[in-house]
Amino acid sequence: MADLPAAAPVPSPVYGLEELLALAGERLGEEVTPRTVRLYATEGLIDRPGKDGRRAVYGQRQLLQLLLVRTLARRGLSLTAIAPLLAAGNSELERQLAQLEEPPATNAALDYLQELQSAPPLQSPPDLDLLEVLGAPICQSAPFEEPSRRLSPRSGGRSSSRWHRLALAPGVELHLSDSASLPPPGSRREAWLQRLLDRLRDHLDDLS
Amino acid sequence: MQPTITIRPLRPAVAGDAPTTLDLLISIEPPQPPAELQTPQRPPLNLALVIDRSGSMAGEKISHARKAARSLAAELTSRDRLAIVTFDDEVRVVVPSRRVDSALPFLQAINTIEAGGTTALFDGWLAGALQVAEHLDGAALNRVLLLSDGQANEGLSDASAIAEKVAGLNQRGISTSAFGLGAGFDEDLMGAIAAAGDGTLAQIESPDQLADLYASELQGLATTSGRRVSIGIRPQHGAELVDVINDLTVTSAGNLQLPNLRQGQTLQVGLRLQLPAWTPNQPITGIRLAWDSPGVERRQELRRQLILPVLSAAELRELDVDLEAAEQLALLQASRDRRSVIAALDRGDEGAAFASLESIDLELAAMPQSSSISHERQRLAEQRQLLASDRNLSRKRLRHDVLRSSLNVWDGTNNTQED
Repeated sequence: MADLPAAAPVPSPVYGLEELLALAGERLGEEVTPRTVRLYATEGLIDRPGKDGRRAVYGQRQLLQLLLVRTLARRGLSLTAIAPLLAAGNSELERQLAQLEEPPATNAALDYLQELQSAPPLQSPPDLDLLEVLGAPICQSAPFEEPSRRLSPRSGGRSSSRWHRLALAPGVELHLSDSASLPPPGSRREAWLQRLLDRLRDHLDDLS
Repeated sequence: MQPTITIRPLRPAVAGDAPTTLDLLISIEPPQPPAELQTPQRPPLNLALVIDRSGSMAGEKISHARKAARSLAAELTSRDRLAIVTFDDEVRVVVPSRRVDSALPFLQAINTIEAGGTTALFDGWLAGALQVAEHLDGAALNRVLLLSDGQANEGLSDASAIAEKVAGLNQRGISTSAFGLGAGFDEDLMGAIAAAGDGTLAQIESPDQLADLYASELQGLATTSGRRVSIGIRPQHGAELVDVINDLTVTSAGNLQLPNLRQGQTLQVGLRLQLPAWTPNQPITGIRLAWDSPGVERRQELRRQLILPVLSAAELRELDVDLEAAEQLALLQASRDRRSVIAALDRGDEGAAFASLESIDLELAAMPQSSSISHERQRLAEQRQLLASDRNLSRKRLRHDVLRSSLNVWDGTNNTQED
């Protein structure tokens, strides 16, 4: 996420307390009270706010810290367990949040339903006569006509990137570099995954 | 805050010189939160209300369904999400899932709901479930509320196939309650959905009960401290589990699925173990209760072990039975035995159905006539009458009673089950 071009050069925004609460509340999907923020600040969980005249102002850092505390606390972690994690730099906080904001369960339920939705209607037993005519299992997938767009190999040796290894199934792994920019959850990510799936399909067609 | 598990043997000992048949009642009492936390601490709710608007809902039913939906929207707060979906042969997302900052958009949309065509129950459920899934929140209670007055006659309609899908979704964090309305719904299908969905089953004879039902469902959700509750019974040293009186679904891990832990609602499980001649101080069985708590990642668990004094078989026969345990076990058995009444009805053997009801009552007649026992016998007497006058309603009531011991069944009298 840190690599997204839009995020890099913009100077850190400054929020008043109300704004901070609204932003955090929206992103967390729960109400965050001024008391919570003050408590976290006195406990040293989020950095002390700056001053603009007599007004306390908060930056991107406090927002990230607040989001991370709440997200972890909701998962049952104690504040003492969370505290050490909040000293990290902004990009690390952001990375942790991005990981947490997509709990596996979200995908699991949604994926499951989308699968159900796209599954052939199971209740109407397939028309037997038609099956005999076809002489083939009905669920055979249509062959892909055009193994067109090939993935052009990534140019150049990107230096010093960390790789994450995700085991997807027995014998199937995905290697993901730190420097790969993941689109945020939602429609953009879905489209991105779809493109990956298309490419994977092309590769598999080539293999077989 | 943890639930309390009490293991009550019918007789408080086992034999050391002969095999023992050991009857146990396991009571699970959900935790009572400290009084000051009771209202503000409820987890946020992420709900989809899925309303059947097939042709048979026309008139009074749909108008009550609208009214009850309005009252549901009005009860929720800005911490909660609600989606409203209707289905006949077509599925319509009337209000996509949104935070209930104001009830107004819901009220306006609800007023446009009119009765239409056939009953695509599964597709309606699926659309509601998607609304909930898009905003799935581990800290919230995520649930689909499915209201139908009919048989699924459009799209997927096989009860076990639908239940399987509903169970799959429950595994992934979204439960389903099934509310059957009137005289035409399929009680077996709705029962199967609620059981698979780890939700509430309600059978509503009159649509004006809907508002009470929704209020009770919200109240129940607000006081739910555990979902996907299961109990594992692990007999030891040659003891064997020979019977579970409740009609509980067995999970893939070989445990028994229990209803949600709801404050004020004690769960009762009846077991029978067969033991060889027993050695003193030897544990008889391990019991493990496990559940998910809203907002807690890890599965919670509680373990108990049962050890009983060992006597001679002759001494054991002289022991008094625990009357309260005996009563609960008899009530569980009375629920279960209604299955044979339903089986007789489905065979068209009305004589056998009457005879089965009769024999259930005979068992209870032999018990001390406490208020619970009299209440149950009263209910049986009503069912005998109903069997003669309204076979359809009678079967629905019987199914309802069978399911009482294995899932959360709304009994229409409110959810304080103190009887």
